[in-house]
Amino acid sequence: MKIPKLPAIGPTLWGIGVFLLVLGGLAPWIPRFTLTILVNLLIFAALAYSLNFITGLTGYVNFGHVVFMAVGAYTLGYTVGTIRLHPLGGVALGGLVALVLALGLGAVTLRFRGVYFAIASLVTPLAGLNIVLVLPALGGGQGIFLNIGFDPLSWFYTIWAIIAAEVGLTYWITHGRLGYGIRAIKSDEDAAKSLGVNAPRLKLFLFALSGLFAGATGGVYAWTTSGIIPEAAFDLTFSLRMLAMIVIGGMGTLLGPLIGAIAVYLPSRFFLTIFIGTESIIIGLVVILIALFVPGGIVGTLRKYVPELRRILE
Amino acid sequence: MPALEVLVTDLAFGLLLGCVFAVIAHGLNLIWGVAKIVNVAHGVFIMLGAYGAYFLNLYLGINPLLSAPVDAAIGLAVGVGFYFGFLHRELRGKESIAQQSEMVTLVATFGLALFISNLALRLWTGNFVGIPWSPGSIFVGFLQLPLGALYVAIASVAIIALTHIFLSRTYLGNAIRAYSQDIPATQLMGINPTFVAAVGTALGFSVTMAGGALLSVWLPVGINPGMGALYAPISFVIVVLGGPGKMWGSLVGGISLAVIIDVGQAFVGTSLATAIAFLTLIPILLFRPEGILR
Amino acid sequence: MSQPAEPETGTPSAPKTGRGKLIAIVVAVLVLVAVGAAAVYYLTQPPGPTGTIKVGFTISLTGRYNVEGTNSRNGIMTAANWINSHGGIKAQGTVYNISLVFYDDQSIPGNVNTLYPQIVEQDKAQFLLAPYSTLLTGTAAPIADNYDRVMLSHGGAADTIWTQTTRRNLVEVLSPASVYLKGAVEWIHTNHAADKIAVLHESDPFSTLAADSAISYAQSLGLNVVYNQSYPTGATDLSPQLNAAMAAGADDLLGGGHFNDGLLIMNQLKTIWTPKFVSLLVAVTEPSFQAQLQATANNVTGPSQWESAVAYGPTLAQSLGLPWYGPTPTEFTQLYGSLNAGASPSYHSAEAGGALLVLAQAIGRANSLNTTDVRAALGNMHIMNFFGQFQIAASGLQIAHSMIVVQWQAGALKIVYPADVAQASVQYPYTGS
Repeated sequence: MKIPKLPAIGPTLWGIGVFLLVLGGLAPWIPRFTLTILVNLLIFAALAYSLNFITGLTGYVNFGHVVFMAVGAYTLGYTVGTIRLHPLGGVALGGLVALVLALGLGAVTLRFRGVYFAIASLVTPLAGLNIVLVLPALGGGQGIFLNIGFDPLSWFYTIWAIIAAEVGLTYWITHGRLGYGIRAIKSDEDAAKSLGVNAPRLKLFLFALSGLFAGATGGVYAWTTSGIIPEAAFDLTFSLRMLAMIVIGGMGTLLGPLIGAIAVYLPSRFFLTIFIGTESIIIGLVVILIALFVPGGIVGTLRKYVPELRRILE
Repeated sequence: MPALEVLVTDLAFGLLLGCVFAVIAHGLNLIWGVAKIVNVAHGVFIMLGAYGAYFLNLYLGINPLLSAPVDAAIGLAVGVGFYFGFLHRELRGKESIAQQSEMVTLVATFGLALFISNLALRLWTGNFVGIPWSPGSIFVGFLQLPLGALYVAIASVAIIALTHIFLSRTYLGNAIRAYSQDIPATQLMGINPTFVAAVGTALGFSVTMAGGALLSVWLPVGINPGMGALYAPISFVIVVLGGPGKMWGSLVGGISLAVIIDVGQAFVGTSLATAIAFLTLIPILLFRPEGILR
Repeated sequence: MSQPAEPETGTPSAPKTGRGKLIAIVVAVLVLVAVGAAAVYYLTQPPGPTGTIKVGFTISLTGRYNVEGTNSRNGIMTAANWINSHGGIKAQGTVYNISLVFYDDQSIPGNVNTLYPQIVEQDKAQFLLAPYSTLLTGTAAPIADNYDRVMLSHGGAADTIWTQTTRRNLVEVLSPASVYLKGAVEWIHTNHAADKIAVLHESDPFSTLAADSAISYAQSLGLNVVYNQSYPTGATDLSPQLNAAMAAGADDLLGGGHFNDGLLIMNQLKTIWTPKFVSLLVAVTEPSFQAQLQATANNVTGPSQWESAVAYGPTLAQSLGLPWYGPTPTEFTQLYGSLNAGASPSYHSAEAGGALLVLAQAIGRANSLNTTDVRAALGNMHIMNFFGQFQIAASGLQIAHSMIVVQWQAGALKIVYPADVAQASVQYPYTGS
């Protein structure tokens, strides 16, 4: 039988694509509470992919990534709460507003060397939180409560679309011409610049992408919790979790963020009966070990020690 | 426009708080200057210093001022452990730290912060605790200043001055400064770079933990495992403001930050003043990255 | 750090991508099988035994709200114990026992919206109680409507949950945030109307609402509010704000937020300012407030949803023409103590236990387990139990339960307002010792 020639894309992208398609097809039949767990998992995965664009690919550690998520969440909160926009619109607008913020922020902070960028990024959510607290239009300290319903299926398909876009873009960027420039920046930015790589533009592009998707995901998050309050929106734990996920999964890889999200989120669901901090202790330890001894994370390790997987896993 | 009395009071409190801010940032400054790395877990060690003072007070009745030296001693040991655990691999004999290594230490110390703060949460629970030490207040004109704050402000400046003396007047101190400027030259002079770097790091941690003990006086109910998340960014901003590696920069940065917050809140409220204080980082990095001090 | 991804070079040779695709297909099949198995399992779960009514909820046993959450859970279990040992719930000729099913939500909203669906779909709960705190209650509310289950809020007080959204099935048992400081303001207006008021509050939703409502109410009564500021959660130094309040000429201080900042304010007031009247949210009702502050706590007031010494009882109910159900405050306190190693119930325990009693009474009055019937009964009820009065507006907001004001007097916590439930009168001024 003649099988039509499938496009020549990598096996990992195939695998993720089939996984997403199957999941998407089965969604209406999955029991709703399992679906809500999946949605939360995919929210974390989407955040991990968004952080991957900047931190995974260029090595610029963004501790304050949660600020984009907060901006997206508040955009959805404001538009849905005040002008009765459909949450999907809120998600899209959330991504856009976060994109604009990322462009502005990145234009300034990406000029700093890695360490200074990291510190500046740490400070932005703290400043953001305090600014939102004094804005009555955004509910100030009271937060925003949304009169929307419980709709796991819509949440699922929205976050599904976001992840699909992120995975596709990650693949396209790393496999295309941009990929060379990015890898050059990551190993030695000065050398890359001297070779003609337009580092500032490339970094800004990736930073903007990371903001866009984090903002959209933040909108979905506000949708799932029917509202947002400042401490929850700017919760530094999100940033830290996202960073742990891509470190554990494998920074800059295609599969890394997804695997990292699964590795970090699912156990925490089952740790619910155990004291809250326990899984974070283990995650912290794992991050230390990976950073010092196994820099490739799960994906990197598999590639290193299982030669057959090298052509498949990325 | 708030009354002059109010502003002067705010300024006074800002100065007192700023000194303590300075000492908790000072350890970070030292390590940054010596090993050229940023310890993301810095806040965690401040927290440990505060808990150290708390337990010393709880079980032995020692007040925080006297706990500071004990914490300092513990900090020395912790610093040596940190050096060999995290830094030695990256720094071993190298002339400067590579970009990759920078990221590795950022991520590794981030993991350390997660690990230690959650371990503390597990051991000591999330309940906020404090040290009930209130030596009263002193009246200076119309100002009523808490004596506890005054004592720790003096202690903080003393610690910073001591480190300055150590670094500029002793042989080991000079060796550390030489190391921070030029590693091969240090080696050529017969100084063991590993030993020097370890001592420098140990000194940084020692100051940090002592600072945590002093900070606890400002936190009658504020000691908790998550407090590092607030004091780490404060420390970073202070070091950048004052100038990384500049010893008196910690004091300048610390006082500037505290005064901006305390005086600023009289004009724009606490939240906005805090936001502004943190955001000063960005123009400094843009226009004067070496810090306020020359 | 990580290995750079190698781009495809030309057309991949058949065996290698074939292998990759094979792996992908295997993964997809595994996922299919897993999901199918789960579906079969859940669809064939047998229904719960008759004679039991399942009430489900999440509660914060760990995390930020663990103290209040644990107290709430203990209150719910105490109430369930009382109901089951006093004839259970009668509906349509059957006597039902209450069975509780609950999980720890770790104070995280993300857990709330996965656990409540599980509680309804998997554990087959017929009625729901909300989680603790405004934030988590707001997240849980739409789930109740979606699954058509009544949900009673015992720990989420912000009015905005009911004013900014329409949640058909969410019913409030406790007094809303907007009335928390009303009692203190009223007392000041009646007794010291010339006093100038300073408001300093935490910037979280609950405290902000309570403080803002107090200010509008005070101003509507003609009181002079000379200072109004908020501070972020986790603030460590409030001396500038307290200084400014004093400099503005204030006589009284209202506000605070939660336990830690309440203590912080009292500690810093020691060296800065002695207001004539202090009323702080949440912190004051905790025994450890007095234990930590000792004499400094004397004459500090605070609002409370409930205290053991309240005079709610069958006699008071009868005099107001209201039906009474459940244990008296003393009986509840004793039962709570016997189930919790002698501990006393906090108001969180009482509001949660009170909610379960209200639910039991509503089911009995509706004489049905049907959500619509029970929700209608809740809407029509005006009753009293050990927690106080219960009556809701059409939106579900609580309108009959009143807050009480308590004050530490010589090391003991006394109810001082309103007059019909007071044990002692308000001591004024605050002297700091």
